[in-house]
Amino acid sequence: MRMLLEQFLNGLTIGSFYALVAMGYSMVYGVMKLINFAHGDLFALGSYLGYTVLVIGAGWITQVFGIWGGVAVAITAAMIGIGIAGLVVERIAYRPVYKAGRLPIVVSALGMSIFISNGIMAIWSPRFQAYPQNAIPSEILSFGDIRITLVKLVTLLVSLALMAFIYWLVERTLFGAAVRATALDRDTATLMGINFSKIILFVFFVGPALGAMAGVFAGLNYGRIIFNLGWGYGLKAFTATILGGIGNIPGAMIGGLLLGVMESLFEGFVSGAWKSVFVFLVLIIILIVRPTGLIGEKIAEKV
Amino acid sequence: MADITRKVAQRILNSQKKGKTPTKIAPFQLVLLAAAIVLLAAYPFFPFVNNYWIDVGFFVGIYVLLGLSLNIVLGEVGLFDLGHAAFYAIGAYTTGILFTQLHIPIVVLLPISAIVAGGFAYLVTSPIIHLRGDYLCIVTIGIGEIVRITALNNPFGLTKGANGITGIGTPDFGLFSFQTPTHFYYYIWIIVALVIIGLLNLQKSRVGRAWNFIREDEIAAEANGIDVRSYKLLAFVLGAALAGIAGNVYASKMMVISPDNFTFMESCLLFCIVLLGGLGSIPGNMLGAAAIVIFPEIFRQFASYKLLFFGAALVVMMIFRPGGIWPRRREGVGFRGLGISGLPKDEDEFLSKIPKESVLISSGSNSSSPVSIESSAEKADGDVVLVTKSVTMQFGGLTAVNNFDLIVRQGKISSLIGPNGAGKTTLFNVITGIYRPTSGKVVFLGKNITGLKPHTIVSKGIARTFQNIRLFPSLTCIENVMSGPHCHAHSGAWSSILRLPGQKREECRILEIATYRLHQVGLWQYRNELAKNLPYGKQRLLEIARALATSPKLLVLDEPSSGLNDKETEELMDSLKSLIAEGFTLLLIEHDMNVVMGISDWVTVMDMGSKIAEGLPSQIYNNPRVIEAYLGKEE
Repeated sequence: MRMLLEQFLNGLTIGSFYALVAMGYSMVYGVMKLINFAHGDLFALGSYLGYTVLVIGAGWITQVFGIWGGVAVAITAAMIGIGIAGLVVERIAYRPVYKAGRLPIVVSALGMSIFISNGIMAIWSPRFQAYPQNAIPSEILSFGDIRITLVKLVTLLVSLALMAFIYWLVERTLFGAAVRATALDRDTATLMGINFSKIILFVFFVGPALGAMAGVFAGLNYGRIIFNLGWGYGLKAFTATILGGIGNIPGAMIGGLLLGVMESLFEGFVSGAWKSVFVFLVLIIILIVRPTGLIGEKIAEKV
Repeated sequence: MADITRKVAQRILNSQKKGKTPTKIAPFQLVLLAAAIVLLAAYPFFPFVNNYWIDVGFFVGIYVLLGLSLNIVLGEVGLFDLGHAAFYAIGAYTTGILFTQLHIPIVVLLPISAIVAGGFAYLVTSPIIHLRGDYLCIVTIGIGEIVRITALNNPFGLTKGANGITGIGTPDFGLFSFQTPTHFYYYIWIIVALVIIGLLNLQKSRVGRAWNFIREDEIAAEANGIDVRSYKLLAFVLGAALAGIAGNVYASKMMVISPDNFTFMESCLLFCIVLLGGLGSIPGNMLGAAAIVIFPEIFRQFASYKLLFFGAALVVMMIFRPGGIWPRRREGVGFRGLGISGLPKDEDEFLSKIPKESVLISSGSNSSSPVSIESSAEKADGDVVLVTKSVTMQFGGLTAVNNFDLIVRQGKISSLIGPNGAGKTTLFNVITGIYRPTSGKVVFLGKNITGLKPHTIVSKGIARTFQNIRLFPSLTCIENVMSGPHCHAHSGAWSSILRLPGQKREECRILEIATYRLHQVGLWQYRNELAKNLPYGKQRLLEIARALATSPKLLVLDEPSSGLNDKETEELMDSLKSLIAEGFTLLLIEHDMNVVMGISDWVTVMDMGSKIAEGLPSQIYNNPRVIEAYLGKEE
């Protein structure tokens, strides 16, 4: 029972990373109908930015703001930096190719992904980098016999709060309605007076910024990072996006959390080596039963 | 009809023999081809080429083969396959495991690897083949990862985990075994050459065209008699089998294989080869593969930056040449591959005489040829051709068609009219099999066709057009119309690859029928124009020609006059009448009351999914309920 709960919490934590990254995939897909393959690598880049801030600033930031203040600064810096990086990627790699159809942009996205991950390698070396120990809060809480690090708890709470905020923003505000309208039908939305470039700005800033936050959290939770960690997380997060139904934000959240929990429970109780196989099998089965994902709505194509 | 088309063919073939119109192959292309072959053959003997560069040449060959294999799935059919390395891995591991465990010779394992990879593709893709675009993409990624992780986890001690299988032997033909890089270089390139010949034949066959139809518009392809599901599966199986061959050759060359060779990155590279080269383009594919292998080699001294450059190059490439290095060009009719090269100079004149005799089509002459064009006149089930018996179609809570009975009689023009949203198109979709009705039956020529797939219904004799034109936009007009006879032909992949005599004959007949129909609607002069370049009115006519080319007994037209100007509408009415004279039966949805009242023999009125009236045009014209449905109730 203790193990079940711990694995469940682990699953929720990793699931919240997937969910944060998946939301970025989903937003961009919703508006641009593009799988942003560079998204996973932006997540990794965010993790490295946060790492750099903590390494450089470990001395004074931590002294001035305290250990949690340091973490907060690192996360904020990574989110802003990666948000801007996301906009740059859109401008140089996607916008010029957007009109050429659906396939060239996939190659452009793959190229961008390779470029970013190798750029990280060129800058920070191909070896693992350890998040500085003195910058990671080390408190451990215990509830009965369940032990959980404070970092993990904070990760979970902050991620969930952020998801709730994005959910509110996209589903309950006028601006969110504009985003959703653009996702449904870009041309009509534009004709109704929605400023498309504003929407693009929003999705390409907020999506990667959410990813960057997950990146820093991943570093804080697992201690070390490597240049190509974006592939693995990106792939799982993309799986989560499809699982929930691509293009809708609540679907991405639920898909991410569900994927994390399933993976973690399978890892704890069956086998760690086969967990990814299990995840993909579940995905395939779900798609056979519900071809548009868990929350995706079935849209009959007009003939 | 059969006689006429035979005449056309005879004429065409005669002219070919006499050499009236010598086939023109651009000399430039021939020179290029010859130069490429000589270059590839002589490559190992160039002075600066050492063993290292011969190996690079070998790997270009491997990636060309892999690129070609993915090109079938991605380029020809347009299916997002981002897990193609899985099939490559299956081929390599089949070779590795069977060689090390059972000591089966590598050469024998070549076909076995192909079969195992193809069979694997069939098993894993058949449940998911209906998924679209991005959903299929993620599933193929998943398959790729499942295969790689399985190899990593060393099930039953077969795959030897992360270290991989070592000690794989080389191909051995008894007297001669492959040892040096040069041997392997020629080995792979001979395989590539054979594969290219096969694929070129396939591209110019019924099978290759069917793939392209699916890529262009899946629904239109299905509605024109293409068995979409089977052709997609065929593409996956063939592509996987070729990747399996590549896996076998790779394993025997490297003598060691490990899961690291078959990562998601590998699948991405293959994807890039196909798009860098140009979708569906074989020369493009070769250039793409060469670029992918050689580019990092050139930047080898920059070691850790080479992939950085490579990533940037992909982006730049797509910005400046989104269509790829060497995009595929659609060839026109008269291309050599069809066994008919060039048409007589006076072809237009010759063809213009045909319509007089066109009544022959309805004579139902039963030719023994594989493509049967007998049609129309069969008087099964008295003179009723089509009946819908209390058909109901519900979408969620919405009843689009409610308990609808429709009768279409032989040799008549029946019209279905009604206000917008009445459910007319939905009823058409039920008749043509795109939707399965919630309840009720569709009976065609006395046979129940409810719930059959659209392509089966087409082959039984119902052809259709769409309300908002659905052509195959980037194929030529003649290729569009050549989709029609597809459903009555039978040549499969093998006979197309080998160009067996029966297949050639069949291709000839498909071209004849398409030629005839294209000419009939007056678009012959546009035969080699891409469909998307035609003006709207001509696109409608092309769609009708495409439907006619399926040799239907019943032609179902969804708003044929919409978007046409008055003159074009006039012409359309004339040609519809002439179709009746030819012996076809017509069912129309139409909004233009001049058309409806002008040419219909029988009118059925639909409103809110139900039938509110039916009768002769004059009866309908004055029917108060119809007027009410259209204009609202008089207060």
